[in-house]
Amino acid sequence: MRTFIKNDKLTSTHSKLLASSLLAALLGLSSMPGAALDLKGVLKDAVEKQTNTQPAAAPADSAAKQPEASTPAAAASSEPAAAPAGEAGLKEINWKNPSKEEEIAVGREIAGNLLGAAPLVKDAALQKYVNSVGRWVASQSERADLPWRFGVIESEDINAFATPGGYIMITKGLYRKLTNEAQLAGVLGHEIGHVVKKHQLKVLQKQQLLNIGAGFLSSKYAKDNKLISKAIGTGAEISARSLDKSAEYEADRLGLSYATRSGYEPYGLTEVLQIIGQTNKSDSSVALLFKTHPHPDERLVALGDAIGSRLDNIKGGKTLENRFYQLKN
Amino acid sequence: MRINLKAMLFAASLMPILHAQMAIGGEAGTALKNDTLRAEPFADAKSSGSFTRGENLDILKKQGAWLQVKAKKGTGWVRLLSVKRGTTSSSSQTAGVLAAASGRAGTGQVVSTTGVRGLSEEDLKAAKFNEAEVKTMESYTLSADQGRQFANAGDLKTIAFSNLKAGKGDAK
Repeated sequence: MRTFIKNDKLTSTHSKLLASSLLAALLGLSSMPGAALDLKGVLKDAVEKQTNTQPAAAPADSAAKQPEASTPAAAASSEPAAAPAGEAGLKEINWKNPSKEEEIAVGREIAGNLLGAAPLVKDAALQKYVNSVGRWVASQSERADLPWRFGVIESEDINAFATPGGYIMITKGLYRKLTNEAQLAGVLGHEIGHVVKKHQLKVLQKQQLLNIGAGFLSSKYAKDNKLISKAIGTGAEISARSLDKSAEYEADRLGLSYATRSGYEPYGLTEVLQIIGQTNKSDSSVALLFKTHPHPDERLVALGDAIGSRLDNIKGGKTLENRFYQLKN
Repeated sequence: MRINLKAMLFAASLMPILHAQMAIGGEAGTALKNDTLRAEPFADAKSSGSFTRGENLDILKKQGAWLQVKAKKGTGWVRLLSVKRGTTSSSSQTAGVLAAASGRAGTGQVVSTTGVRGLSEEDLKAAKFNEAEVKTMESYTLSADQGRQFANAGDLKTIAFSNLKAGKGDAK
């Protein structure tokens, strides 16, 4: 694991808050490195208050409107957002209110870890095709300005992943189940929806603010790069975690909406859900997908309720099975 | 339910001919929700019956976003998303057959028998950052214009359609 956090700055900024903190005393209850996690419950409310007050598309200056400066979460935002993220890694991410560049830097780290687990399928034509479909669908989303990138990864699992900033991956196992471009558009649309709504980023923000808040309370831990980076690691394991069910339903609704706006047959995503729903639960290829998502049947019902009669007059959507790229193996 | 599935599996395995006929005559389905059957594929067509969630259905025909199904209480049209296509029993049979064919059955070690890397929770936790692969992925990034050209080539035309909102019965 690479070191994501350069602790000097954190330590100096955050140590100022030490004296006044009630949490410092709490930390004394546990001298284990895991203390950061133990504090989650204590800090949870404060952090949720901080993160929830920001709408998904919050302008960069919304932090200024936050009245509370006494919580560790607020302290984390005291660094100017101008801190460069880029390829230098995640040294000084403003977790309170990350910029677009910082969001992309975070997503890049996670994407890189995912690719470490399952590399890209070595088929440039396939990757180009998926990027073409994905880019077109993403252009119909609320965040067309992101540098969207897509990849098919070497895994026979049935799954797809999105990381902040617009890195989207679909497994070969899932691609194999698809029969036309509208279905691919629906799947990519679902993942695009997660990025647009910053579902994963919000989970990370909460976690990082908690960890920063807890971590710097003990200079012993704050001085140890390894411990900090472990606590704040933005590894691929975030992709193994479940989002709220409501986030998945929301991504389904958005995915279908984006694909429909793009000119595709609207039911592509629901067809894929039908296909996945027929996979036996005990099949290991869907183990992670079923663990982290509501069952496809529930998703179909929720989508059906959301659709109602809205698609009744939508005609002429394309499936484009003729140009759907066929896997070489 | 479990007993039913086993019984159906057993019956299905004994009667491949019956299975073939079903594929021709009508696909099996399961009701995902309670719904009303319509005499025609329109929301305001008159009722021709109903079914309840979990009921087995015969799918007779598809027309646009509507399926014509045969249920216990009548035959008629319902919206596509009221029906789960296929049945759990047939899919578990398929899964079993596939598992046997690929030598996976009984081993519980899919990763080791196939040589294909999985993406389990453990795999993801153990994953190491791969800079070269990210760079490759980024090298495929397309511009909005390139996306538009691709859409034009497929004669894809954008339409006005506002984002779907959560339905009333949606589990939040």
